[in-house]
Amino acid sequence: MNFAIGLGLDTLSFSLSLLLVSLGLVIIFGLMNVINMAHGEFFLLGAYSVVAVQQLQLPYWAALIVAPIALALVGLVLEQLIIRHVYHRFIDTILATWGISIVLKQLIIIGFGPTSQSIVNPLPEPVHILGVVYPSFRLFIMGAALAVSIATFWVFYRSNLGLAIRGVIANRAMAASLGLNTRRMDRWTFAFGAALAGFAGAVMAPIMSVDPQMGGGFLIPAFLSIMVGGVSHLFGVVLGVGLIGSTSTVISSLDTQLAAQIAVFLLAIVIIRLWPEGLITRKR
Amino acid sequence: MLKVSEVVAGYQAGSRVLDGFSMHVRPGEIVALLGRNGMGKTTFLKALMGHVAVSGGSLSLDGEEIGGLKPYEVARRGVGYVPQGREIFPDFTVEENLLMGLLGRPELPSEVPDWAFEIFPILHERRKQRGGSMSGGQQQQLAIVRALVGRPKLLLLDEPSEGIQPNIVQEIGQVLSRIARDEGLTVLLVEQNMELVLGMAQRCLFMENGAIAYETDEVQKLRTDPAPIHRYLSV
Amino acid sequence: MMNTRYLGVGLTVAVWAALMAVPLFADEWSVSQLGQYVTYGILAMSLSFIWGQVGILCFGQAIFFGLGGYLMGLTTLERFTWFGGSQTMGLLLATLGPALAAYILGKLLFVGRGLSGAFFAIVTLCAAFIVEISAQHIDFIGGFDGLLGVPPLMASWRAGDDMLSTNETFYVVLASALLIYLAVLFIQRSPLGVVLAAIRNNDERTASFGYRTTDYKVLAFTISGAMAGYAGALFTAQFGFVSPAVIGTALSTEVLIWVAVGGRAVLMAAFLGVVLVRSVESFLSSALGPYWLLTLGGFFVLTVVVMPEGIFGRLLRLPLPKAWRSPGAGRVTEPGQDPLGMRRTPDST
Repeated sequence: MNFAIGLGLDTLSFSLSLLLVSLGLVIIFGLMNVINMAHGEFFLLGAYSVVAVQQLQLPYWAALIVAPIALALVGLVLEQLIIRHVYHRFIDTILATWGISIVLKQLIIIGFGPTSQSIVNPLPEPVHILGVVYPSFRLFIMGAALAVSIATFWVFYRSNLGLAIRGVIANRAMAASLGLNTRRMDRWTFAFGAALAGFAGAVMAPIMSVDPQMGGGFLIPAFLSIMVGGVSHLFGVVLGVGLIGSTSTVISSLDTQLAAQIAVFLLAIVIIRLWPEGLITRKR
Repeated sequence: MLKVSEVVAGYQAGSRVLDGFSMHVRPGEIVALLGRNGMGKTTFLKALMGHVAVSGGSLSLDGEEIGGLKPYEVARRGVGYVPQGREIFPDFTVEENLLMGLLGRPELPSEVPDWAFEIFPILHERRKQRGGSMSGGQQQQLAIVRALVGRPKLLLLDEPSEGIQPNIVQEIGQVLSRIARDEGLTVLLVEQNMELVLGMAQRCLFMENGAIAYETDEVQKLRTDPAPIHRYLSV
Repeated sequence: MMNTRYLGVGLTVAVWAALMAVPLFADEWSVSQLGQYVTYGILAMSLSFIWGQVGILCFGQAIFFGLGGYLMGLTTLERFTWFGGSQTMGLLLATLGPALAAYILGKLLFVGRGLSGAFFAIVTLCAAFIVEISAQHIDFIGGFDGLLGVPPLMASWRAGDDMLSTNETFYVVLASALLIYLAVLFIQRSPLGVVLAAIRNNDERTASFGYRTTDYKVLAFTISGAMAGYAGALFTAQFGFVSPAVIGTALSTEVLIWVAVGGRAVLMAAFLGVVLVRSVESFLSSALGPYWLLTLGGFFVLTVVVMPEGIFGRLLRLPLPKAWRSPGAGRVTEPGQDPLGMRRTPDST
């Protein structure tokens, strides 16, 4: 029973972190039709901002502010310099962003070295929950991921800004004709997506091995979650993340990491074969 | 208000869908631009809104050159646009659709005023319903009010009567005439169908091959002497 | 105008001629290096075919390359002798095995509409990753270290089983590359090639004309896999080893860079992309250290944004087949006619 609860909590914590990473990705894709292969590196930069904060002798919590701001800036710069030139060439956005991911990863290696860094866990005391002893920091991760996700949903579906963004997604030309500055919205949405990934990286850093390769480990599951869940509604991402996250966690606890990856891979292929637009599509 | 001189424009570089197109609209006027398919009417409206590039000539609104501006810039200078096919947001409610007309205008409050729901009563009735669930005529009314909440000084309508039942067309004509009269709104109407035009327009421009071929401000005379209509609008 | 049209042909012929002449004046080490580049060139051509011609971006092309290498190695090392252990059988398996893998993968992944391009790219990236890690764990194929001591290409037509010399190996590789090049060129200019190009241009519209685009894509992908697999076999025979590194994400993504930088839509350009990047790489990576990959990445982004045709794409573009040129172009002029206004009369200036 304890095993099940522990597994359940692990699934929840992985899925929520994956959700945070995937939300940024799906918003960028939904609005700008850009497959951002550099999203994993945004996550990476967020994690390394914790390293930087630690090296500057500042408390961990400062990184939770530094990371999203730094990544928003990076996102703005990249969008303005590079992304906006390749919008109309869909496949090339994959390549351009993937090239950016190579550059960002190399910058980290040059700046911080190729080996892994250790982050001091700011909440080392474990906590008793549901009858098991569980690391407090993981609970913090779940809480933070949940809070930020809910806030993102709220902005997207309940605020005027969110309505404007959804309008642009639905009909860009008409939205522009109504006075919306769609270029500026693209830029800031990309920055926001980057900031989400950066925040996720900063939040996850204390429990992961922080090394230059860690971006890839989230990028692929995030993409697969989006494709499985569908891109027309944010709830699709939640479903996709739930399926991929739980499959991954459960299988890797019963077998190896590799088996989990294969399982996720096969699951994604099967689902997309049956529902090519994802599980949640627009009602027509 | 609107002065168009020798405009050359097209969808691809070098194409001349509009070829030396010139016209003007005075403040408060209701002008109809008529012509068959392919003559350049929709292209003109799109060029005005900045969706189509202008390769020659000038477009000026109240003395300011607007050729080359981005669509949102044109909209913010007081041009309201009701495109062919309405282009309402089908998944948004009526209220949300109207709100979209305000979100791009930072100088206006982001709340739909009550008068917007009173122009066409059906919009008040279906306030919370999805735009996509309404009939073509109702969607047209929605698209028009969406443009009106932005308080434009120039309203552009592209074939507003297309595919809509005649009584709604009439209602639209009456309402727009009233608003133009009361508020001093300038209206430029692109049409193929004479119903609405005869009820509303003060001046008619007939287009052929990318330029104006005939102009008249004796609109009612067209009822009794429809020669220009046959010449420029029939196949 | 005549000049630019045939510039591509001229340069292409010049490149092949130059390659053929290399062993005459270069030392043995350079020849074997060039042999490596040409082998990678075949891999690049396989990607250029599926990407430049059909518009399908594959992040896992090395899967087929590595698979071919492993099949060749396993056969010639006589670890897998279901079909015998000869070199010919090795080459055959190395071509057919990856072709089958590509076929299966294609059948699985070429789904209907929507995100299919992006989905394919990401899934192939994922597949490359999984295949690499799996290969590290399978002892039968050597695990992490892979297969070592794979026999080189043999001259089975000579009396006594004799190894091919470096020059001979080079010519075998070069001849393979040339044959494959001509074969792909032939496909590109055939009706099949037209359909594939139409699919690249607009998949849905092509399907609406009645073409079963999924079948065509699977076919193209299978051919591409076969090419890559054959290249992998040549690679293994030349260098005596194959390992998980040869089948995984690193090489898969490297070949993408070569092809993007060289020119994805022009076969010869993709081929030269390898040569360019590789030759510059060995020089620059020692000079620049970690900044090398950074520079390459930056340059790659630049190419994608500003030069999507690639560095050599424009230069090596071949003229369209006569049948495809617009009617009227190239029409023989009657004496006295001057359709292009090029002749000047004596009294005009």
